Amino acid sequence: MSRPLEEALFGAPSPRARAVTRALSALTAGALLLLAAGVVLRFYSAGQLDARYWNFFAWPTTWAFLANGLLGTLKSAAMAAVIALAFGLVLLLGRLARLRLVRWPSIAVIEFLRGTPTLLLIYVCFLVLPQAGIKLSTYWMLTLPISLSTAAVVAEVYRAGVLAVPRGQANAARSLGMTKAQVFFYIVFPQALRYIVPALVAQLVIVVKDTTFGYVVTYGELMQNAKVLIANYHALVPVYLVVALLYCLVNYAISRASKRLGRPMH
Amino acid sequence: MGEVSKLLADYGPAFGQALLLTWKLTVLSFVPGFLLGIAVTVLRLLPLPPLRFVLTVYVEIFRNIPSVALLIFIVFALPDLNVLIDYEPSVILTLTLVCSAFTADYLRAGINTVGGGQVEAALSLGMRPIRVIWSVVLPQALRAVVQPMTSLLIALMLSTSLASQVPFPGRELTALVSKIATDSAAGIPAFAVAAAMYVATGLLIAWAGAALDKKARILR
Repeated sequence: MSRPLEEALFGAPSPRARAVTRALSALTAGALLLLAAGVVLRFYSAGQLDARYWNFFAWPTTWAFLANGLLGTLKSAAMAAVIALAFGLVLLLGRLARLRLVRWPSIAVIEFLRGTPTLLLIYVCFLVLPQAGIKLSTYWMLTLPISLSTAAVVAEVYRAGVLAVPRGQANAARSLGMTKAQVFFYIVFPQALRYIVPALVAQLVIVVKDTTFGYVVTYGELMQNAKVLIANYHALVPVYLVVALLYCLVNYAISRASKRLGRPMH
Repeated sequence: MGEVSKLLADYGPAFGQALLLTWKLTVLSFVPGFLLGIAVTVLRLLPLPPLRFVLTVYVEIFRNIPSVALLIFIVFALPDLNVLIDYEPSVILTLTLVCSAFTADYLRAGINTVGGGQVEAALSLGMRPIRVIWSVVLPQALRAVVQPMTSLLIALMLSTSLASQVPFPGRELTALVSKIATDSAAGIPAFAVAAAMYVATGLLIAWAGAALDKKARILR
């Protein structure tokens, strides 16, 4: 990729085209500012800019409470990610097994976990398992379903990585007398990991998003704590705006990290 | 198995309706989301920095916000701003916005696969930049993104489950399972039936996507 397409398209404008572009830029900027002003006016006329809706953000307790929620989110997400990475490896090994008796059930499990919404799995842990006498804590009611559905996706990501490792690597290692397990764990899998680290990190964004279902099971993560704040201060718009912003920031940071990790590999 | 057949005798039509509603929500949010995503992609190419900036912010926001948070904001917070949207349009709007952001992101990557040489060639033939985008860049970019768009469609289909978070008049699959699980002890079979319907739909989309990709892909 030599230069961005925009430059090829609009790279060397004539003086006249440049003047037109500048005028259009100013015009769009004006239109967008007008739109922003309209939104602010809407807030104002609905009374949402009143101090009572915003002043509790000046209190450290509010932020401590939100930070606590964010911590809950991260705790659940981190645990889910760890379980998914490990269980995903198990599913991958099953998926790659030569024995059909192992491979087919693995494929079935992967397709099943990948193809059902995480929210449905959460409802199963929340509503159905207690009927069967299995009681999980709210933390696990949220974390376990997320781990399972992420594990299936991770298994497929692993597989893409393993298939991307040139066959010669495995053949060479085999001819050196390594066992199949050694070839996989010392030669193929480490190289596969290098290909897929960006995809795995990107998957973390989805895990963080899924933890927002915590309020379904009333686990104290960011969304649930936001609901508590709203119940206390009746400030729906400000709290949800701040929380949405927090989620965007966390996920944006993860996406950026994933893109950065992706760069030196190419 | 006996449990499943009893369940289907009791709730069979309800499951059919739920599946149809899931499909309906998927299509109604994918089509406008896809078109909006194309529009955002094209507008982001224009040499207008303020517009580019705002659209980049748009894409990053809706790519990174959890859909539930967005849905809850639209359903519960917007009425405080005197914006009232009914439940079903709220779900569709949420999914449309998220879908458009991801479409714009994938299409941008697809556009990067089109060589700059083609653009220069088209320009030197006397085509205007807009025409180049429309007839040279976009068709090739669209062919390049069939696979990610298939994954997006499947993800969107699974995301319709968040309609169960708002008091919806009709029930889609997840809401139906949660109702059956609260009303009766038939939670497990209900879950199995719903899961089978989701998986089957996903496999169907994946199969159609693969077939389309085979036809549309440009080998380089």
